[in-house]
Amino acid sequence: MAGENEKDKGTPKAGAAGPRKLDRREVLTGLSTVPALGLFGYAWNKQRQYQQAKAEAAAAPAEAPKDLQVINVALLGAGAQGQVLTDAMLRIPGLRFRAVCDIWAEYNQKRVVNSLAKFKHEVRGYEDYREMLDKEKEIDAVVIASPDFWHAQHAVDCLKAGKHVYCEKEMSNTLEGARSMVAAARETGKLLQIGHQRRSNPRYLHCYEKLLREAKLLGRVVTVSGQWNRAVAPDLGAPARYAIPDARLTQYGFKDMHQFRNWRWYKGKGGGPIVDLGSHQIDIYSWFLGANPTGVMASGGLLYHDPATHEWYDTVMAVYDFETPMGKVKASYQTQTTNGSQGYFENFMGDQGTLLLSESEVYGAKLYRDPNAPAWDTWVQNGYVSAPKIQEIKEKTEGVTDVRESVSPDEHKVSVVLRDPYHQPHLQNFFNAVRGKAKLNCPPEVAYESAVAVLKVNEAIEAGSRLSFKPEDFRI
Amino acid sequence: MDRDRTDGGLLIERRGELGDVRRFSHEAMATVFEVHLAHPDERYAAQAAQAAFELVDRLERELSRFLPNSDIARVNHLAAGGTTQVSPSAMECLVIARHVFDLTGGAFDVSIGTGLPSLELDPDDSMVRATTDGVRIDLGGIGKGYAVDLMAEQLGEWGLEKALVHGGFSSVLALEAPEGVDGWPLTLSDPGSPSRVLARLSVRQMALGASGLRKGDHIVDPYTGEPARGCRAAWVAVPRPDTARHEARSEGRPRIAAAAVADALTTAFMLMSPEEIETLCERNPGLEAWVFPEPDDGRPGDASLLHFGDSASGYTSTSL
Repeated sequence: MAGENEKDKGTPKAGAAGPRKLDRREVLTGLSTVPALGLFGYAWNKQRQYQQAKAEAAAAPAEAPKDLQVINVALLGAGAQGQVLTDAMLRIPGLRFRAVCDIWAEYNQKRVVNSLAKFKHEVRGYEDYREMLDKEKEIDAVVIASPDFWHAQHAVDCLKAGKHVYCEKEMSNTLEGARSMVAAARETGKLLQIGHQRRSNPRYLHCYEKLLREAKLLGRVVTVSGQWNRAVAPDLGAPARYAIPDARLTQYGFKDMHQFRNWRWYKGKGGGPIVDLGSHQIDIYSWFLGANPTGVMASGGLLYHDPATHEWYDTVMAVYDFETPMGKVKASYQTQTTNGSQGYFENFMGDQGTLLLSESEVYGAKLYRDPNAPAWDTWVQNGYVSAPKIQEIKEKTEGVTDVRESVSPDEHKVSVVLRDPYHQPHLQNFFNAVRGKAKLNCPPEVAYESAVAVLKVNEAIEAGSRLSFKPEDFRI
Repeated sequence: MDRDRTDGGLLIERRGELGDVRRFSHEAMATVFEVHLAHPDERYAAQAAQAAFELVDRLERELSRFLPNSDIARVNHLAAGGTTQVSPSAMECLVIARHVFDLTGGAFDVSIGTGLPSLELDPDDSMVRATTDGVRIDLGGIGKGYAVDLMAEQLGEWGLEKALVHGGFSSVLALEAPEGVDGWPLTLSDPGSPSRVLARLSVRQMALGASGLRKGDHIVDPYTGEPARGCRAAWVAVPRPDTARHEARSEGRPRIAAAAVADALTTAFMLMSPEEIETLCERNPGLEAWVFPEPDDGRPGDASLLHFGDSASGYTSTSL
């Protein structure tokens, strides 16, 4: 947010133009009975009165379209990611939340139940997902955001109970788990969407379909790089008064509260940083390149954090080989957890241009045309990319002769902007598919290919050598 | 805004002498948020502070007008007749902002004159409807205070009461004081000459907002569109009632966002006349304010601090 507000500066747009408002002193007098301590309660009631008046005025309130099939939803896993998904789902018409399941009944479960109540979703909270599946027969779809080592069992049991499932990535921390999910989806005929949400992001779709496949703006892609860098953060804690009893932690596979809160750092619980952070982006490598990798080498290590609480490496660099329809590609990826500089992005480099994109709406997508590439005028005219920002040629005024700095390539932007929360389009795609109106953008077979590519990095670190993929490794 | 700017010269005094108070910092909302915590377990304190900072980051994603998919960016792109659903936090911020707009006769205006009354706010469904085109919201004058309110609530969940939370020192919320003092010792100083302390406060369960101008800065009066004159700094204190604590929240009462209100009022008080501020403080028991006028001849040192409202802040003037 900015501090650039009325405190600092700004050119007022109205002020002079609009009709003069009430005199300030009159207004002050009119509000004489408002006690300062009730400031917010007063405002709340005032808005409530407005809302009631509006409801009475409107004969037929503008709800979701009448023919929209209502989908009954349960959330399984109400931690940070479950709350992100809930916020996004609240903006999707035609969903009715029925239940929230989380073993942290004292805190996260209660928080999500309360926040759903604000939106008039009367939901029941559960600790045990089996009890939820037994009692909540009307549920159509379950959204799973539990720790990775629970994904397979949760997803398989929900599918077998006849529910459609949206499950966060990574599919599972093991390939056996991921395979069982594919099998269960096939066996039950229910939908299983995996949460690689960039696959439904309108900017990523635009870059893939329009810029890479149709316009082929990058020419022959030879290298790819990407990263997700994160700054140091302390281990996650929990309010002492809301600690989960030991017996319940043990029952659900956690040795203590620290492991429950920081499961991503423990082997057998999470898949390591390459899964936590790299999985989304390596998935984009395969998607955009139109191929699965043929080999990978990787180096990772615990360079910074305390080994007593961090079983996984905290830093990893991987290099993949791809053989794409256009030729061979080298693709590097790094993630580290000690410095967040430059955040997360994917960078595709071809002989005619570069595409630098990030899921972050602040960074968006930028394209750089190689000076020798054919002109992009057509693609600018039809809106595929913005007109270039011409990099200025800086003349050195103090120089003796006409010395110029080398010219940077022109920078184009992609004007596709996501105005919704990041996960909303992917969830919307899932619910559209439940209604029979869309195909899943990330069905389990696709996510399985991505899991094979990503989990191999952990093997390559252990092996200390390049490991190969066979095409059949990706098939199931 | 400069990242290290302390808007109105509001600072903790003799911080190093305060018992086992630990300080944690985090950049967000174009400023630095800090949590000062008195707690024997450093690890627990750090985890609590980190949880509070993650909350600020979430709020920034919802409230920043610079993020294209924030709630406020969506509101700013509404055409006449358009509606959008926003998060409960964004709705609360807008409702408080609208209320302070009414309370101050428009002197606090998050739309900077683009027509705040043209936004219809429906908290029950968390929907915002625009009745005209072109309303542009910037919550910069209230978002930090609102974030500080929520951070303090969350620290309460963690059982941490001896704490002070602030966003760039322009929004401060003092909870219980550390051992050995009755309140958090704060100073108000001349933003044009920060070493000049104008007043000392000793506060607990109190929100403070600060606005100030340094040389060359200006603030725009949404009434006239002109730079406001006459005031160099303003501070507002709003007590934080017991009902703002976590235990009361679970009963479904509306949030009493003392720091958000203080943050918003302080911007308004930069523009309002002393008579208007006096009226507002008289009619709203508990409100306390200080204004440091711009000296008529521009020479520093001539003006003295004006004080409004009953003092609950342990206020002592140091200007004489």
